[in-house]
Amino acid sequence: MAKAHKIMGVKPLRSYRENARIILSQKVEEVYTWEPFIQDAARREELHNMRISIKRLRYTMELFRLAYGSPKIHSGEVTMADNKRFTEFLKVIVDLQEILGDIHDCDVVLEILTDYGTQSEQATLTPGIAKLITQARETRNADYKTFLAKWEQLSAANFKHQLLSFFGAARKPKTRY
Amino acid sequence: METTAPKIRGISPDETLEACARQIIVNYFHQMMSYKDGAKAGNDIEFVHEMRVTSRRLRTAMDNFLDCFPEKAFNKHYKKVKSITRTLGAVRDLDVLIARFEKELDTLSEAEQADLRRLIEHLQREREDTRKPMLKLFAKLEAAGFETEFLKFFSR
Repeated sequence: MAKAHKIMGVKPLRSYRENARIILSQKVEEVYTWEPFIQDAARREELHNMRISIKRLRYTMELFRLAYGSPKIHSGEVTMADNKRFTEFLKVIVDLQEILGDIHDCDVVLEILTDYGTQSEQATLTPGIAKLITQARETRNADYKTFLAKWEQLSAANFKHQLLSFFGAARKPKTRY
Repeated sequence: METTAPKIRGISPDETLEACARQIIVNYFHQMMSYKDGAKAGNDIEFVHEMRVTSRRLRTAMDNFLDCFPEKAFNKHYKKVKSITRTLGAVRDLDVLIARFEKELDTLSEAEQADLRRLIEHLQREREDTRKPMLKLFAKLEAAGFETEFLKFFSR
């Protein structure tokens, strides 16, 4: 598992709101460092690392939720529309994390089944283990296709830019519409 | 399925990051430790799961707020949280596999089920072995006063 990127430029004595922008944008960039690898279904390690980076982004969004309002609290600078958009972005991130999690689970299951099957005294896999390997491969392929389709849809909608623009807006107090 | 984030109370977006970081870290730490007794008992796999997820949330918070604290002492606490995540992860991975394979039993014929039952038993033995380092780590941290030290450092 790749280490979290070191966060640069944090200003401890400046506000939580201002630092939200600094930190969240770097978490988004960390996720996108894995993008060049995702077209290859066999890049297990990189897909796993992307999942971990997405999880870090999700947890960081949850940490800074108050900078973009919360469902129940609105400060003068945060509008209902911000709350709604934040929730929508978070939902996309959680969906991506879950589908990559399903892919990773299949990879782990395949590794366990293959190791266990080849460690047994018999020369060939037992029927039960062989069947489970086939099922896990099929599920993995389907999950990978789902992930890729979702990613392509987000790329077409310029999701990264949307996310960065939204997070960047936490720095300055906003004008109410 | 992941749990939802613990509620962070008493912070304002216009406070300094340093002040907020302390509150958030202490809040997550309390949440993580609230699952420890259940994880030690081992009767319900959800306690290990919840404790692991919260330890990951705590680590992400600590990664983000590193610059708010003196580095040497911070790293000492960070390493301990990391060791908690790691030891819980080993147990959780086996819990997930066992639960998944138990579910798969219904999709197999009787002969095929026998193969899978042997694998499940193998994983259950492995799980018992994996719980030992986790329990040892908890005992070590308790003896070293980890909880008190951690809270003293971050509650200042």
